[in-house]
Amino acid sequence: MEEHTTTVDKPATSRRHFIDLLLGVSVVAWLASVAYPIIRYLKPLPQTGSGGPTHLTRDEASKLEQKQFVIVPVSGQRVIVVNVQDRTCAFSAKCTHEGCTVTYLPGQSVIWCPCHDGRFDLNGRVLSGPPPRPLSQYAVNRQPDGGIVISEERA
Amino acid sequence: MRTILSIFAAGAIPLSALATGQTPAATDPKLVAMLEAKDANGKAVVSPEERTYFMGLNDHLRELLNRAVQQEVITSPQHLHSLLALQLRPQKMDLLLQNNCVLCHSDPEVQSGEDLFSSAPASHDSPAYMNLKDVVEDVHFRSGLSCAGCHGGDPTAQLGHNFVKEWPEKERAHNRAWVVQFCARCHSDPTFMHQFNPSLPTDQLAKFKDSPHGITLLVKRDDRAPQCISCHGVHGIRPAKDPQSKVYAQRVPETCGTCHANPKVMSGFTRPDGSPLPTNQLAEYRLSVHGQALLARGDLGAPACNDCHGNHAASPPGVAIVSRSCSTCHSANVSLFDGSKHKQAFDAHSWPECSKCHGEHAIKKTNDSMLATGPGGLCGDCHRQSAKNNPECVMTADYFRKTIHEMSETRDKVTKISDNLAAKGLDVEAINNQLTELNDALKKSRTYVHSFSRNTFQQTAAPGEEAIQKSKTLVTKARSEYKFRQIGLAASIASIGLLMLAIYLKLRQLEK
Amino acid sequence: MQSIDNPTVESSSQKKEPERGAGETASGALRAWLDRRYQLTPLFDFLSHKQVPLGVHWMGWYYLGGITMFFFMVQVVTGVLLLMYYQPGEATAYESIHFLTTKVPFGWLIRSIHSWSAHLMIISLLLHMFSTMMLKAYRPPREVTWVSGYLLFLLTMGFGFSGYLLPWNKLAYFATTVGTNIVRSVPVLGNWLLEVLRGGQDVSINTLYRFFAAHVVILPLAFVAFIGLHLLLIQRQGMAPPLGEKVAPRGMRFFPSFALRDLLLWLACLMVLAALAVFLPYGPGIPGMDWELGDKADPLAPAYPGIKPEWYFLWEYQLLKEFPPHLFGLEGPQLCLFVIGILFVIWALIPWIDRRAYRDKPSPAFSDLGWAAILFLTYLTLMGWDVGAHHDAEQLTSMQEVARVCAWWTLAAGAVVILVRSWRFGHRWFILTGAALLQVILHGLIGVSYLLAGLISFVLAAIAILVLLYFRRSGADAAIST
Repeated sequence: MEEHTTTVDKPATSRRHFIDLLLGVSVVAWLASVAYPIIRYLKPLPQTGSGGPTHLTRDEASKLEQKQFVIVPVSGQRVIVVNVQDRTCAFSAKCTHEGCTVTYLPGQSVIWCPCHDGRFDLNGRVLSGPPPRPLSQYAVNRQPDGGIVISEERA
Repeated sequence: MRTILSIFAAGAIPLSALATGQTPAATDPKLVAMLEAKDANGKAVVSPEERTYFMGLNDHLRELLNRAVQQEVITSPQHLHSLLALQLRPQKMDLLLQNNCVLCHSDPEVQSGEDLFSSAPASHDSPAYMNLKDVVEDVHFRSGLSCAGCHGGDPTAQLGHNFVKEWPEKERAHNRAWVVQFCARCHSDPTFMHQFNPSLPTDQLAKFKDSPHGITLLVKRDDRAPQCISCHGVHGIRPAKDPQSKVYAQRVPETCGTCHANPKVMSGFTRPDGSPLPTNQLAEYRLSVHGQALLARGDLGAPACNDCHGNHAASPPGVAIVSRSCSTCHSANVSLFDGSKHKQAFDAHSWPECSKCHGEHAIKKTNDSMLATGPGGLCGDCHRQSAKNNPECVMTADYFRKTIHEMSETRDKVTKISDNLAAKGLDVEAINNQLTELNDALKKSRTYVHSFSRNTFQQTAAPGEEAIQKSKTLVTKARSEYKFRQIGLAASIASIGLLMLAIYLKLRQLEK
Repeated sequence: MQSIDNPTVESSSQKKEPERGAGETASGALRAWLDRRYQLTPLFDFLSHKQVPLGVHWMGWYYLGGITMFFFMVQVVTGVLLLMYYQPGEATAYESIHFLTTKVPFGWLIRSIHSWSAHLMIISLLLHMFSTMMLKAYRPPREVTWVSGYLLFLLTMGFGFSGYLLPWNKLAYFATTVGTNIVRSVPVLGNWLLEVLRGGQDVSINTLYRFFAAHVVILPLAFVAFIGLHLLLIQRQGMAPPLGEKVAPRGMRFFPSFALRDLLLWLACLMVLAALAVFLPYGPGIPGMDWELGDKADPLAPAYPGIKPEWYFLWEYQLLKEFPPHLFGLEGPQLCLFVIGILFVIWALIPWIDRRAYRDKPSPAFSDLGWAAILFLTYLTLMGWDVGAHHDAEQLTSMQEVARVCAWWTLAAGAVVILVRSWRFGHRWFILTGAALLQVILHGLIGVSYLLAGLISFVLAAIAILVLLYFRRSGADAAIST
């Protein structure tokens, strides 16, 4: 056993070099395959935030100003935010009848589902049409800097 | 009406006399004995729950019980048990304990057979029997109108039927036309009804008189026609909001069906055009989209008979007003139809609007194949028979059908793909957003078919077609992401494998 | 201790290393530099002398501890990575995990690996513990190693339980409600413990904060401390040689032979882990081994049927169900907790209970105890999984029907175990395995209540052992053979 390692002959050396080279290359390759996902993972995303309370973006806020309403995603759900006479309220935008997305009719001050003409008032209650239940309400908080935060009612 | 008022007043006098100035008395020893009595098997007649209920009664009610026992209106533990078992709220218990009619008739020691009001369910089925629970749950009983209100007599009198009329009189039992007038004595008097329920309408008789039911009963003197009690019941009348009421939304079809689904009852009745009145409406309704929604799914928003035909003024909606009934719920479709070319054509043929295509009682869930232009399709069949063969119409219908078909096909397909991708751990939120968009457009498009206009429909369908494109792109993206994961895995397995090989060779070399 | 004094390896091999190539010279210089300051030579000498016994057993058993540690290291790395995105809190815990798995590049991979590695770690830990049990490696002088390993096992269970709640999804919420409720049965302290554990009377967001603290700080600190002790003891004493021999007949050098083999296996595990994480990102779909996020927890929502704990808690969950509400004047769960407590204490004290292994003699009874424990747990776990139940909810399967199917499976496993042990290893001592199987037969096939079946089997086994001891006392030693 001892003798083998001590007697140094040419083919054995080149073989050992080859193995060391292979070892080095494969270690690097392996490290790369582990490091790549981790580096990608750690690089922060352009749009931060991970759900929870949703801040209205600048675009959405200006749309709200112009059209008096805007539909935004909150925790994966569509939410309609309505702005009427200094009062801002938010409801699930999913009609309780067949699940269409509702819209706001500024002229009539009602939330309207175009699919089957369901109408809701600005408390989410059904005014007319087939919807069986009122729209669920979301909490709206106006921040000191004018930003609007929408979150699920339950705290 | 005035007599009933005076009866109320008579009933109220002893109540106020009791309420003032009498000290709460201890429980009568006879009552205590009844509360603790045991039956032949040694089991307590008055159950522990009932005893707890008794303990919770206020002094006034206890005093009433004491008195009933002393005056031998309540004579046995069994009788006490049947009264306490009702677990009535204090107001009702008060009314009950001052009503000697009900007290005496619920005493199994004194009454038997048809005359005994018991809570046993068996007595509920036979109309001759009176069920004690029904009596006390009656909407009239609650308001202080009980037996004597209709039958006459003095409920506070100690005994007997001296004051009670045999009622209804024999001759009146044959023709029930008088019933409507009898109920109307109170129900058509707004001032009187206002005391009990200010929002209750008082126009029922007026409506009924002019309805086919009313004309048959009152003018034609045909006793097969229904009057108040046919639908509302006699004893144990409950408000329409009560699920046990015969006129509760879900029970209305069955109630109407007792006559209208019975060929024997309906024989001889005809439509204005002379054809016999059909009896298959209930069967058709049960299978219809409305019947399924109301009866199977329990959706109380779905219409029952009365939502289209009316309640007390029940009548078949005429040709001109069919669409008005439908528009109470389906307003978008109706207003689109009103603005369409079809409106004038239908008017010209004097066709009922909605029901021409969708049917009356057997309205099925709509189906995209209704738009087919070939044989069997609604559009095709009707246009071949009643319209000029207009190629533009055929093209429009084909376009509707193709667009809707593509949207629904894509929605189903992409939903499946999205679920599949989600199970593989991929992010499908964007795909699902497009699916919602697509679903919205599809639902809206199906409604906008009723505009029968290519342009109007196209505007509605456009977001759907956009969503189809977007969802397809997103699916491709998600699939390539999955491919990337697999390639990444292969690469990392290869690199690990290579490292393992290198280590293995090194190990062999070291151990040599 | 044996391996340190092992004379077969000479220290001369050490001095030959600097002769190799230029790279080695540089590292040699570095070593010399370090050695002058920190006196590393004795340590290197010790490590290079270290040997792993080769002999009667299959070598595989010796790698299980290393594999468990590998999975733990994976847990540390992925756990730290998850921590960079996870936000505990009512409105953020679920959302942050949702965000992590859907939006963050490779977030799904990190979470999937963390979950897979957790389950694989428990599997390899259990195998490691049972192999130690079968090989009697806990005998002196390694009792403390056993106890430290046992504590690591408990901590791992704690990791599993606390980590389960952190995504704040519906399933985790209800499972945690049921799981923590067991604590209530602890005598006297029950209610206090429950409140401390939950941070209030009910499972709420306060519970999440506590579990989070436990999962990422308290448990890891404790785990690292005990794993340090465990490794130190193993390094100091070497791995246990086969029973009855002071020194292994042959040895394998720890460095590099064993260590490189360890590394090879670790890499193989990593390969498996990566493949599982990509192809089954939410687990194999077995109840108790499934981590699809699902819906957010809603404390106001009603509980739903089929709430089950993770698979390694299933046996306790099933045992709890087998106890009647009241027994011997105690509440059922209280008594059950007492029984489980006794089983755990016995398991911890095995090095001292096993007197024959203590004297370095073969102890077939304790091998049998290990197998009996496996069959006992298998039967309960199968029942907890409702193996043999109909899958449509309309048709409820009776407990007895489930028990029968589970009993057949357990009996089949028991038969295989007994046959293999007697033919392959010549075991002759089957009293406890027999008792475990008898309980399965009585409960599953005949329909005796689980507890009564257990009592009968226990009493019969106790009588058999007493008879055996009596015969051995009176000189009939031949009655027992390995």
